[in-house]
Amino acid sequence: MIFIIPIIIVIVYLITFYNGTKTIQVRIKASIQEIANQLKRQADLIPNLVSSVKSFLKHEEGIFNKLTQARKLIESGDLGNLEKSQDLISKALSSLRVVVESNPQIQSQQLVGKMMDELRDTADKIMYSKRTLIDLTADYNTKINTIPGVWLAPMFNFKPEQGLKVDNMESALSVDQKDMQTPKVEL
Amino acid sequence: MHNVYEQVSQNKTRSGLLIGLFISFVTISVFLITNTLDLDPSFTFFALLFSAGSSIVSFFYGDKIVLALNSAKPALRQDYFDYYTTVENLSLASQIPMPKIYTIDSMSPNAFATGNSPKNAVICVTTGLLNKLNRSELEAVIGHELSHIKNYDTRLMTIVSVLLGTLTILINSTRRSTIKSKKNKDSSAIFQLLGLILIIFAPLIARLIQLAISRQREYLADSAGVKLTRQPQSLISALQKISSDPNILAQASTATASLYITNPFKGNKLASLFSTHPPIEKRIQALNQML
Repeated sequence: MIFIIPIIIVIVYLITFYNGTKTIQVRIKASIQEIANQLKRQADLIPNLVSSVKSFLKHEEGIFNKLTQARKLIESGDLGNLEKSQDLISKALSSLRVVVESNPQIQSQQLVGKMMDELRDTADKIMYSKRTLIDLTADYNTKINTIPGVWLAPMFNFKPEQGLKVDNMESALSVDQKDMQTPKVEL
Repeated sequence: MHNVYEQVSQNKTRSGLLIGLFISFVTISVFLITNTLDLDPSFTFFALLFSAGSSIVSFFYGDKIVLALNSAKPALRQDYFDYYTTVENLSLASQIPMPKIYTIDSMSPNAFATGNSPKNAVICVTTGLLNKLNRSELEAVIGHELSHIKNYDTRLMTIVSVLLGTLTILINSTRRSTIKSKKNKDSSAIFQLLGLILIIFAPLIARLIQLAISRQREYLADSAGVKLTRQPQSLISALQKISSDPNILAQASTATASLYITNPFKGNKLASLFSTHPPIEKRIQALNQML
């Protein structure tokens, strides 16, 4: 009878391992949806800011074009497309920021100040939802690459997750000779 | 140098060891004392029941009691934009539901978290804190409090104090009764002597371990909070602002002291051994290593 006990322990362990790993996988998917959700929120906030600074804005159509494109990309839900849509949104945002920062009249408006706070907050939200994805992916990949996970992962067909993709991964990982030089600041 | 990951796991191990030490100390003490005094095992059981009974109310209604004691008001998004949104963002990052948030009207900058699980957690900050800290410093403080919530620190400290209570009740009730000399069987003289010594010193020793656990959980909340925000500098400057502020929190009592981010009783220089919080300098030193 005594040999049943180790078998039970092994079975319980396998179930815990499977459920734990599967849970992280589901959370990784959910965190990608969360990034899309927050990007969409950011895209929706911008038109409000645009309307409050309308009279100072000259290249308005460009902003709205970028936003509609960004929304379409977000709806596809693919992680690579999310990165592209974020690019578009940040381009639209930076031209808005230039307008706000170069006009003291706009800055004095309370509504605009509030809108800028909201934009900072939504940028934080996107940053934190990305961090969730990064942390979860790191947890998951550690789990299936360390003992005993590395032996069990092939059994359940757990594959490494990609996580957050960075454009030009190679150049982000290496340091250019130019970057090593001490920056000169001339006033 | 210890980076943030190493510090989080080191603090987890240390507080795990302390909790193990505490539980085994209380268990051995209770065993030796009942053995020395020849008490019935049911006696221990009733002491545990009594101690747990007195904590049941604080376990389930603790958050509400603390909020009422500190006269806290719910914080709305339109009134406290930075406070509301930082809690929202960091809950997103730490994957727990957003806790209920409150403010206390006080010039003294401080903050605490309570609630027996992340589902019914509460975060509370003073209006002084909101006025004196900038957004990233506030974020660092909220990160510390959210880590307390995620680590179930309120629940842990409740269980620890129930065990300490059991020991105290057991000893107090035996002190009143006369000590019968024991004539029975196997227990040796050394065990008898140990039991007698423990009757005198066990509550003090257990209390010291309890305080050490509390301090270790503060270090853990600091490092886990930084793991969320990745900005040790903000937590350092927040701690410096909070500790250098001359105002004293009128609403704080010894009952709620352990909940706050820093010890609310300033100027009251207790020996660090008897403190619920580690000294600010040591916390900053640990944070500096993460920079």
